[in-house]
Amino acid sequence: MDASGQHARIEVPDLVKPVLRVLVVDDDESVGAAIQAILSRRNYRTELASGAYAGIQALASSRFDVVLVDLFMTGMSGIDAIAHIRRQFEISIIAMSGFRLRSSLDPIDYFGTAIQRGASMCIRKPFSPRQLVEAIDSSVAASPLAEVALQ
Amino acid sequence: MISINGSTELDGRTGTDVSRIDRESVANEVGAAIAHQLNGPLTALLLYLGDLYQGRDRFPVGDQDGLSLKEVAENALREAERVCALMRRLGDSFEAPLREQTAFAQGREMIRWWARAGIASHDAANTQAAPVHQISLTTRESEVLRLVREGCSNKEGGMRLQISHRTFESHRARLMRKFGAKNVADLLRLAAEEHAGGDSHRSALAVQRRSARARRSGEPARCKR
Repeated sequence: MDASGQHARIEVPDLVKPVLRVLVVDDDESVGAAIQAILSRRNYRTELASGAYAGIQALASSRFDVVLVDLFMTGMSGIDAIAHIRRQFEISIIAMSGFRLRSSLDPIDYFGTAIQRGASMCIRKPFSPRQLVEAIDSSVAASPLAEVALQ
Repeated sequence: MISINGSTELDGRTGTDVSRIDRESVANEVGAAIAHQLNGPLTALLLYLGDLYQGRDRFPVGDQDGLSLKEVAENALREAERVCALMRRLGDSFEAPLREQTAFAQGREMIRWWARAGIASHDAANTQAAPVHQISLTTRESEVLRLVREGCSNKEGGMRLQISHRTFESHRARLMRKFGAKNVADLLRLAAEEHAGGDSHRSALAVQRRSARARRSGEPARCKR
């Protein structure tokens, strides 16, 4: 029994690792493109959705292992999107958020709310490639689906 | 008691303090919006630079003087991380929940104080100088307030006024700022209070003005209400 990627350094792509399918839901296309560029180099398959509705549609039409959701999007907010996804799909959800602003009008703990609505974890923008990859890997490892798959 | 800046100190305040608080909160929101917008590009930048950094050993090593590409990648990432750290600090300082709650509490306290000071003033000579608090709304803001009161969402309200829901939302946000409301329910409550308070205040003022005129002209004061 090896460490199964737990201590694998991300600089060395672990080719034994199964290809993870990642969906990025963010209305800032430059963020999605950058995440896609980083992940494609590391044996992840990434698709982009430019909003909550597009993201939910993508989830309904093909299988993903992880979905990254930006909390602050125009239209349906990330928080609502997370609640919606959690109700409909068995998938690891990672919430992404910036500096937790907008608080001057509504002082809300967005990360806490995101977890409450079903996010597996939260990462704060901006993040490094290493933080991104670690977040994805650990959220997949922590999901009940992964446990079933390992047995 | 809210804080050291709480209600007990309010009696010494003047109109300039109100506009200072107003300016501050507007500046905070503009700053917050800009910091929010910076989020995306900074995230993308950090990811790309991080990727370059991780591949830095594959860069060709030049034999010329100056920085090698590897060093450039290292420096670029370091500088980007400095910017991100700065933005985080900026974000944290905008958040400051205590200061913000204090500001709202102060705003509300201020509104009550203006109203109290205006009504309690029995000296007719001071009537003109007494601060008359009234939240002045633009036509558009009144329309938005009316629709919010009717229970319209941003989308519905926007459609009814034939403006985008974002514009409707920003009008609503300005209303909330003007009233110092912390959410929509609070806005409706404060707007209702303001409406009621404003009426009784105006009538009190009218009585004072009439009695002042009466005193000057030697006639007895008439009070219709």
